[in-house]
Amino acid sequence: MTASQINGLPVVTVHGGDDVAEVRDVIYNPEAGRLVGLTLNKRGFFSGRSREVLPAEAIHAIGRDAVMIADESSLVAPADAPDDVGHPATDRNVIGNDVLTEGGTSLGVVRDLALLVGSAGEVVGYQIEKPAGGHGYIPLPAQLAVSGAALVVPDVTQEFIRDDLVGLGAAVDDFRARLGMQ
Amino acid sequence: MSDSFRSATGRKVVSRASAADLGMVSYFLVDVGQRRIASVVVGRGKKARLVDWAQVSGFGPDAVMVSDEGALRPAAGDREQAAADGKLDMLGKRTLTERGNKVGTIGDVTFDPATGVVEMLQISDRTIPADTMLGSGTYAVVVDASQEPVP
Amino acid sequence: MGALDWLIIFLVLLAVAAAAFVVIRRRRRGGGVFATRGKP
Repeated sequence: MTASQINGLPVVTVHGGDDVAEVRDVIYNPEAGRLVGLTLNKRGFFSGRSREVLPAEAIHAIGRDAVMIADESSLVAPADAPDDVGHPATDRNVIGNDVLTEGGTSLGVVRDLALLVGSAGEVVGYQIEKPAGGHGYIPLPAQLAVSGAALVVPDVTQEFIRDDLVGLGAAVDDFRARLGMQ
Repeated sequence: MSDSFRSATGRKVVSRASAADLGMVSYFLVDVGQRRIASVVVGRGKKARLVDWAQVSGFGPDAVMVSDEGALRPAAGDREQAAADGKLDMLGKRTLTERGNKVGTIGDVTFDPATGVVEMLQISDRTIPADTMLGSGTYAVVVDASQEPVP
Repeated sequence: MGALDWLIIFLVLLAVAAAAFVVIRRRRRGGGVFATRGKP
């Protein structure tokens, strides 16, 4: 599951079976390595954006075909949502950001976020475009230090670049175990 | 013996008091919490009316018997109106698990004509028990995580 | 009116419809993945 696959998904109530909105933007906290919420469009081809937002805590599950919420009360007005969700900083698109190791090596540019399947938005890695070309996936530590606009990852990340999401899934635990030992 | 939504659709509805033909079964409104048919929609479009399951005196293989024409009433509230318009029809509706993954499209729904209890959902080549249903609406029928499709 | 006049009217209407469509679709543009503002 990647963040770009979430964009445009319908938001469906578990207990109502209704599509109450669809995903507009994904709001991501790089320090915590998790989604903090989603902004929404109204349903329908000609409908515009929705004023309401969906904080991550109110997400029941994110699947391949829909974002599930308990019921319509999960959608909240921006004033009632955490500030990062209610008034997101739309000038900081993570896609396209440079990923640098602490040692100063560029691993590439972020193309997408890899999410833990079945979670309410835990981000476990980035899909990157390598400087030499081609795609790869890197795992993220549970906690991440972010400085400024660039995303800074531990040096050891270089050893854990994988070719696909399956490889990434297997690498995340090993990677985090390695970090824990240091 | 169980009946199904697909085979019951189009069956005539007859008044037991006058033997008058009151119309045809068009849709079913299901109470997901009770896992039973709440009411039967008779007729389509502007002429659609509802009959509560309690007013159905016999759901037979050839006709649905109701006490009299007074058992038919107009839709009350948004959900009943949606049911009367066919927007809540479970036949042909997509099914999602509560985790947001598609299971398939509902081909038929079986129920006990004596009690109105909904028994099984037929989805593509699978048959899943109706007690896994968590919600049924205009967009999808939502079932619990035990029905998660195998990737 | 001649055929040319009708053609011009038709083209103007088409342009207006296309512009309206673009405006409506742009209002719902999305698809960003935005980072939260970091702690100061």
